[in-house]
Amino acid sequence: MGCENIEFDQGWGEMEKGIEKLKRILAGEKETPFTSREYMTLYTTIYNMCNQKAPHDYSEQLYDKYKKTLDEYITSIVLPSLKDKHDEFMLRELVERWLNHKIMVKWLTRFFHYLDRYFIIQKSVPALNEVGTTCFLNLVYEDVHPTVQDIVLSLIDKEREGDQIDRALLKNALEIFVEMGLGQMNRYQDDFEARFLQETTNYYSRKASKWIEEDSCPDYLLKSEECLKKEVDRVSSYLHSSSETKLIKKVQHELLVVYVNQLLEKEDSGIKVLFRDDKVDDLSRTYRVYNKISQGLDLVANVFKQHVTIEGTAFVQQAEEATSNQASNTPGGHEQVLVKNILELHDNYMTYLNSCFQNHNLFQKALKEAFEVFCNKTVNGSPSAEILASFADHILRKGGSEKLSDEVIEETLEKVVKLLQYVIDKDVFAEFYRKKLARRLLFDRGTNDDHERSILSKLKQQFGAPLTSKMEGMVTDVVLAKEHQSSFQEYLRNNPDVHPGLDFTVTVLTTGFWPSYKWFDLSLPSEMVKCVKVFKGFYETKTKHRKLTWIFSLGTSHINGKFEPKPIELIVSTHQAAVLLLFNASERLSYSEIVAQLNLAHDDLIRLLHSLSCAKYKILNKEPSSKSISQSDSFKFNPNFTDKMRRIKVPLPPVDERKKVIEDVDKDRPYAIDAAIVRIMKSRKVITHQQLISETIEQLSRMFKPNIKAIKKRIEDLITRDYMERDRDNSHMFRYLA
Amino acid sequence: MKRKDTVKLISADEMEFIIDKDAAMVSQTIGGFAEMELGEVTFPEISAVILEKICQYFYWALQYSRGKETEFHIEPELTLELMMAPNYLHT
Repeated sequence: MGCENIEFDQGWGEMEKGIEKLKRILAGEKETPFTSREYMTLYTTIYNMCNQKAPHDYSEQLYDKYKKTLDEYITSIVLPSLKDKHDEFMLRELVERWLNHKIMVKWLTRFFHYLDRYFIIQKSVPALNEVGTTCFLNLVYEDVHPTVQDIVLSLIDKEREGDQIDRALLKNALEIFVEMGLGQMNRYQDDFEARFLQETTNYYSRKASKWIEEDSCPDYLLKSEECLKKEVDRVSSYLHSSSETKLIKKVQHELLVVYVNQLLEKEDSGIKVLFRDDKVDDLSRTYRVYNKISQGLDLVANVFKQHVTIEGTAFVQQAEEATSNQASNTPGGHEQVLVKNILELHDNYMTYLNSCFQNHNLFQKALKEAFEVFCNKTVNGSPSAEILASFADHILRKGGSEKLSDEVIEETLEKVVKLLQYVIDKDVFAEFYRKKLARRLLFDRGTNDDHERSILSKLKQQFGAPLTSKMEGMVTDVVLAKEHQSSFQEYLRNNPDVHPGLDFTVTVLTTGFWPSYKWFDLSLPSEMVKCVKVFKGFYETKTKHRKLTWIFSLGTSHINGKFEPKPIELIVSTHQAAVLLLFNASERLSYSEIVAQLNLAHDDLIRLLHSLSCAKYKILNKEPSSKSISQSDSFKFNPNFTDKMRRIKVPLPPVDERKKVIEDVDKDRPYAIDAAIVRIMKSRKVITHQQLISETIEQLSRMFKPNIKAIKKRIEDLITRDYMERDRDNSHMFRYLA
Repeated sequence: MKRKDTVKLISADEMEFIIDKDAAMVSQTIGGFAEMELGEVTFPEISAVILEKICQYFYWALQYSRGKETEFHIEPELTLELMMAPNYLHT
């Protein structure tokens, strides 16, 4: 710690020597690296010069000298070297010079370190490091950065077109931009990134417009995926990481969002075709690629929905046209085909949903909405609910026309239940199904109880008990009825005197569960009258408080017809039997006589007589022998009737119940609405008009879609019936009246 | 003790002190020197006695930073000269 003051010039002379040596090292000249002794000397010199008493405290001058050294170095050596270079060479030179500069700053900072400790804080001037960067910034960067930007951008363009470029060089060059920001990203962003993003947008916009014309959808997607990969790679190689999100977003937008509809709807290769050709990979790629774009999936889901809707609607069209073009050999055959097609469609697209679209709920929704569109269309006058019910009926009748195994039946029933969720008028379905179920239970001897119960439990699970409670009752009734019958047989055995002489079975049904049937005040033949009486007697021993109503239209009779060629057993309805038995008494009867004896309405009688005389089996001969029945006809027993079978079934033409079913359902809906409204009011006590309507719709959505006018009407009705009232102050609020 | 992890500090009167590099790093200045080469630094203005005390200080500083809080005792005669050193050495 010597006490002599070092004069400035002397001290600076020492420093200059060191600095010159440094410059020589940087210039690559042969020079020994700094020894620690040399370093120490330089450091100590500064140290001493700064610690001297004023006016020999040369801190400020040293600081200025430091700055001047850098400036001079840059001006004399760096700038000239950059001047006459272009393109990549210029870039290389710049990077080299910058690196050199950094080294110089590092060393000088070490030498002048003492200033950093006290002087800069005292005088609030920038630290040595910062000064270093600022010098470079002001003298070099400001001058060259536009040119540099141009060069960099053109290199990137080259790489995009497929050329190899020096990535390390670009990385270094771009780092300069970052470092020039002195801790902020603004230089990088303003002087490079902004234009880079712009050029990228333009580039991909051009490419996209070209590719969209030339390439197929899967190829385009492949290319897009490639480009995105490359850009990410680009970022990790030489761009600053902060650019990644912005860059990717722009590229995605240009390639995928702008042309999405055109892309996915391409004639020969769009989504339609991908589905048709089962291109699972391409579909998955589509999902993957669009998943990364916000709301990208919305666009794809939309196209998906449209596609499914078109396919489904095409099937419906097909069914409509097929039926109008030719007479179908199986009634409703085309509808069966339609349901099968729709089920298949559903299966197919569910598979796609799971495999390609990761069961994403956007796509689930799209599928649902698409199906809702065409599953509610009326085909050839039958509402879709009816078609579906017929389809189920078909399957359940002894396994349908083809011998289906149990598993297949179960599966198909499962699918039917699934399809039902898309049908809006579920209560219509329920009614049709109930009617068909009744027929199956009463007439179709081969019904499989297990299947019936299984589909009912599936329906109950999906849609709730109200839908299925009556039907379950029906199935149980049939089982109970069998028990009744066996106890009735026992009764007859125990009381042989009351036996009416005819073998007969009675099925007792609970009225509420079964569809309502028209009641005919038929005059039974005497043999049957006895049967009825006997059973009534038996039933009264069982229960006292029930009333029996006899529905003969649902009954079946086996009659032995003694025809001349051979006796034939006829299986007919009880009504038909009643008609035929009249001919036991007389050979020939006129229409009016029959009417008088049977006490039936004209429509019904005409149907009956038609089935016996003008249809396939002419058991009665009609005079005149026209194809239709008129009230002036007369009928004769046909003794010559024969058939190759020993036992034949004489069917009755079915009545078209469709209108009736729909009417019945419509009649019940207001009650359902009432019940829902009251339930809601009871729990809420007070509620606004809007809310009430929306909650009612929601509650009823499991069964059907109520229309708002109907709901309003019911609300008014309930108000007049004092179930609820309008709030005195606010006419949009309702209050529950207990 | 490996050669590489040590630094040699040489005083004005040519006394050599070999200490761990970690200890030497306590002084930012030495840290800077030591980065160069040879691992050898000469202090023509610091006497051996002071330098010895400084080395002790380095070790104590390391210990302290690792949680062992003891006292560092300085003989009063040394204090004046001792105080100049840290300024130079940046510790």
